[in-house]
Amino acid sequence: MSSYIKIEGLYKTFKNKKEENQVLKGIDLDIEKGDIFGIVGFSGAGKSTLVRCINRLEEPDGGKIFIGDTEITSLNKKQLTERRKKIGMIFQQFNLFDSMTVFQNIAYPLKLLGTSKKDIEIKVDKLLKLVGLSDKKNAYPGSLSGGQKQRVGIARALANDPDVLLSDEATSALDPVSTLSILDLLEQINKELGVTIIMITHELEAAKRICNRVAVLESGVITETGSTKDIFLDPQSNTGKIFLEVYKEFRHDNSFTGGEGI
Amino acid sequence: MSFLKFPFWDVVKHAFSKEVWDVLLPAVWDTLYMVAFSAVITLVLGVLLGIALSVIAKDGVRPVPVLNETAGTIVNCLRSLPQMIMIIITLPIARMLLGQSYGVNACIIALAASCIPMYARLVQGAFVEIPKGKIEAAKAMGSSSAAIVFKVMLPEAIPSIIRGFTVALIGIISMTALAGSFGAGGIGDIAVRFGFNRFYHDMLIASVLVLIVMVEIAQIFGDLISNLILKKRHLI
Repeated sequence: MSSYIKIEGLYKTFKNKKEENQVLKGIDLDIEKGDIFGIVGFSGAGKSTLVRCINRLEEPDGGKIFIGDTEITSLNKKQLTERRKKIGMIFQQFNLFDSMTVFQNIAYPLKLLGTSKKDIEIKVDKLLKLVGLSDKKNAYPGSLSGGQKQRVGIARALANDPDVLLSDEATSALDPVSTLSILDLLEQINKELGVTIIMITHELEAAKRICNRVAVLESGVITETGSTKDIFLDPQSNTGKIFLEVYKEFRHDNSFTGGEGI
Repeated sequence: MSFLKFPFWDVVKHAFSKEVWDVLLPAVWDTLYMVAFSAVITLVLGVLLGIALSVIAKDGVRPVPVLNETAGTIVNCLRSLPQMIMIIITLPIARMLLGQSYGVNACIIALAASCIPMYARLVQGAFVEIPKGKIEAAKAMGSSSAAIVFKVMLPEAIPSIIRGFTVALIGIISMTALAGSFGAGGIGDIAVRFGFNRFYHDMLIASVLVLIVMVEIAQIFGDLISNLILKKRHLI
């Protein structure tokens, strides 16, 4: 299969008066259609910047990004605004609009497209059913739990039938139970709707649960890419190894059970 | 009645007499007229200016650095003038526009010139408080700049904008009192002419009462509306 999302030699430097901070140092990635592609790394590795470059919330300094046949990095402002309508994004802090009800939040991207009221109603009801929040249609985000908010975020991101869903630490602010249910929902969306998902996370558990391929990002460089299984069984890079160590450490830590398990 | 000649409680009691209120009531209407007129102008132009300032700001939706610097400087200049000096400066402008530099209408120019920039900064502050992520989410969904401002930022900031308006409204009330001593009429005028110049302390007490009631009403209503919205959104 040929790659659907292609990133070539991506560079990004944050500058302020005092210093320059090169966050991405020549990223190359190939992501296939239908992948759930995980990008894992420690805080400050540049994961968030990388995923935000894909819909150009951050403007890359160099390199190219393709989605399908479109070169995202060469679009002008107007074309980019149009293309963004087909790239869903979910966030760690959910970023729902507090001034709108759940229904209005999900309807927002549809209104941007000029969808008719009736079609919006049908579509939103369908999405609410998909994310299991039909009973919260007229609630305000302020009254929802973190997990419910992220479900609304996902429904909103899916409203325009995107081909790509970008997930920026979508489960990192959630408790373990909500995390699992959101991950399962993402997997379900990927299977049922065929949406390609790029998720960045620092939780290896999350990547392991749903990603089919994983890239490890370390200080702005991709140190290894491969199937989730390969990276978990035999990490080659430093970060990959540390990650796995920490992961195992947590799994086998019985200090809370008073060592009864030993 | 003055405290100098009459017992304290007699003066206080006389503050509620028909004699006092016959003089004061027309002045109250003048003040209410000035406040209402200036409040509407401040609300409309202040919100528009506030939106414009946050849109063209460095990290705004459509940054325009040169315009931002210029507008910012002008707003700061207007804001740095004490209200009294603003009134004096705008007197010739009032004469030019209205043909007279005294009276209720003349003072509205000074009120607007002072309060619009002040309120615009409060509106701008309300916009700055919106979490960046929400605006990014709107961008990521392919919103135009206009949609971001009017469909997302404005509704999100409404409770703070209303709170800011309460502050501005109270500022307007206090400034009308000041303008009173420069020929604008109203409660301030009564307080100066009768209370200060002629030691009519009963008038002074009545004027103070009216001002307190006005400010209280403004504050209570502002808080009420803003809290109702926040409660509806389950944010408090």
